[in-house]
Amino acid sequence: MKFQVNRDVFSEAVSFAVKLLPQRTTLPILSGVLIEATDEGLTLSSFDYEVSARTQILAEVEEPGRVLVSGKLLADIASRLPNAPVRFSTEDNKITVACGTGHFTLSSMPVEEYPSLPQISDKVGTLKADLFAAAISQVAVAASRDDVTPVITGVQLEVSENNISLVATDRYRVAVRDIEWDAGASGVEAATALVPAKTLVEVGKTFGNSGEISVAITSSDERELIAFQADKKTVTSLLIKGNFPPVRRLFPETVDNFAVMNTGELIEAVRRVSLVLEREAALRFTFTTEGVTLEAIGSEQAQASETIDAFLTGDDTVVSLKPQFLIDGLSSVHSEFVRISFTKTENPNKPGPVLITSQSSKDQPGSDNYKYLLQPNLLLR
Amino acid sequence: MGKQDGRTRHVTAPGVDDSTATILHVDMDAFFASVELLDHPELIGKPVIVGHNSVRSVVTAATYEARKYGVNSAMPMALALRRCPNAIVLEPHFERYQHFSSIVFDICDQLTPKVERLGIDEAFLDVAGARAIYGSPLEVAALLRRRVFAETGLVCSVGAAASKYVAKVASGLSKPDGLLVIPADKTIEFLHPLPITALWGVGGKTAESLQHRGFSTIADIAHADRETLTRAVGEAGAVKLHNLSWGNDPRNVVERAAEKSIGHETTFEYNVLDANEIRRELLRLSGKVAARLRGAGMEASTVVLKLRFEDFSTITRSRKLPDPTDLGRTIYETVRDVYADFAREGRPVRLVGVRGEQLVEPGGGQLSLWDTTDGWRDAEQAMEAASARFGTGAIGPARLLGSQRSERPRLGQRD
Repeated sequence: MKFQVNRDVFSEAVSFAVKLLPQRTTLPILSGVLIEATDEGLTLSSFDYEVSARTQILAEVEEPGRVLVSGKLLADIASRLPNAPVRFSTEDNKITVACGTGHFTLSSMPVEEYPSLPQISDKVGTLKADLFAAAISQVAVAASRDDVTPVITGVQLEVSENNISLVATDRYRVAVRDIEWDAGASGVEAATALVPAKTLVEVGKTFGNSGEISVAITSSDERELIAFQADKKTVTSLLIKGNFPPVRRLFPETVDNFAVMNTGELIEAVRRVSLVLEREAALRFTFTTEGVTLEAIGSEQAQASETIDAFLTGDDTVVSLKPQFLIDGLSSVHSEFVRISFTKTENPNKPGPVLITSQSSKDQPGSDNYKYLLQPNLLLR
Repeated sequence: MGKQDGRTRHVTAPGVDDSTATILHVDMDAFFASVELLDHPELIGKPVIVGHNSVRSVVTAATYEARKYGVNSAMPMALALRRCPNAIVLEPHFERYQHFSSIVFDICDQLTPKVERLGIDEAFLDVAGARAIYGSPLEVAALLRRRVFAETGLVCSVGAAASKYVAKVASGLSKPDGLLVIPADKTIEFLHPLPITALWGVGGKTAESLQHRGFSTIADIAHADRETLTRAVGEAGAVKLHNLSWGNDPRNVVERAAEKSIGHETTFEYNVLDANEIRRELLRLSGKVAARLRGAGMEASTVVLKLRFEDFSTITRSRKLPDPTDLGRTIYETVRDVYADFAREGRPVRLVGVRGEQLVEPGGGQLSLWDTTDGWRDAEQAMEAASARFGTGAIGPARLLGSQRSERPRLGQRD
């Protein structure tokens, strides 16, 4: 095998292929990047049975071939190469990478043992990449990171006719965002897919500037996988099995008790006041027509409080919220103002959840339909 | 305090000067056995042993009647039944002991803020500050005993003295159902005739070594040549025993936090290889741990599995829970997952244990939007209510039906 390729194109392709590989793998062969050279150019792929990444780039191929090489090492090398064409060749078990004055010899991994990448079926629809990337960043923050409950470590994608909803929860909060969806010729009117949140976050970062992303869902051998494709790049991920909890019913239909604040001001105040809090402790928020007062009672030495403007509709309200959970929601509304709504509850042992939504001005609700529902804690005083 | 079978009982006559005896030691009399007798009044006055009636089991507790036959706590059940063949064996009910224990400690807490709990059935109280409200130490001690009896039907013994050590000796000597006050100026007179085994930390080996050198009473220790004493028990031991022998115990009553962990374990009669049987036992133990957690008003943040194998090698594995729990179901699912790794090894198991650690009060942490355990909580509370009314074992998980270890007391059975 022998080819020559543009340094930046090669480096970007290797880094994409390697990015989704796990840090540690039980099978060493899965830490490799598969490089295939044909008359059409180069294909770089990685696959660990859960997630695969595949990209095609142009190259001057002198001699076609297939080779498997350590992904991490190749990525490190590719990112440091000087700005000159990269010449890549193989002889027996040795791979030579030459670029400008640099010269590397790597050993190849046994390519014949490498698993075949999953087959992808026809697409079910397309998404606007920038919207999708924004929605992922808004929603994935609420996904659980605890592997004890795998179902909620994913982001649930719910496809309807013109719409796709992204939903995530860790049982303490739920984030939902709806974006446009074009089913095109697929005729698919409804589908759900539970995608590991950490993979979806990488998909958002990778495809954020790609224009349009096409989505395919494939099932084979009782495992389902989802594929995202754009710019000659493909990412596939096995779907998480199991039923996502019915979190939609937790959202209130109407709320008539809410407060509107400047998002940036509130985030700053929360960060300041929570400096004195002990880990995992909550902040107390008192909403009145005068504004909202944040209070932190930390250890014996330190306390803090701050009052900022808030436009309250309805009754005075006191809630206790974990600062990081609140900031996650506030940072995701992507709007100058934010509305915090207080839901009612029948349960005397548990305060009703608060709903965080965007607000373009103090009187005007935001145009996106992002919703972040957060469970307050008990008021301990 | 030796055998504590009540044959050498001392109690205080009224009129003693109690003003200097401000430290009380409260000790429930034959606590576990007495709790069991509340449910079996027909057995009062008979030798009763509390423990699992099985080959490998040990005695958990015994009534004074059984102790007179030489039955002691922690003695193998088989030996106990040889010494006292007429004894009636009752299954222990730790939830009940916990329940009565918390009532007794509540009474102590009402009398003085300075309460140092020792285990489940003992406490030191510093009542120096209680005089204005409840009276002299003797009056507080008498009130405490009356309240404990009125609220639980159980009897306790109380020793009052100027130091923790002497108070503990006094409570031991006043058993059962006694009250003994040792004023500061009567301390020496009280201690010196007592055998050396009444000294704190003198038992078994140490007692033998001292008796061998001719020490038989505390007075002998008090007047001993320091060098001889040092040879018998070492430098530090000699200083300690000498101080105790003169009633010098500088330790204060220290209020201790509530329990740090709650656990139960089972030693199988035969080493068990069957993973299903072990899981069944884990389910049963998890239920007991959960009931005690609820009884104590606590939730466990961490669950610990303990396994002892055939060769006595022992492992403990803990797992942090996503949220603290007091549910048997959650505890069971967690230890079952931890156990899965060992189930594959297929080593015969001799003992299993389940423990909840890092106990916290409920509601202090982050609440969830929904509780996946709602149904289980209702089920466990219903089971608890049924057990409280109809007796432990009246209702339980179906998987525990017909398992070897029954919760029902087996009256008078022997192996």
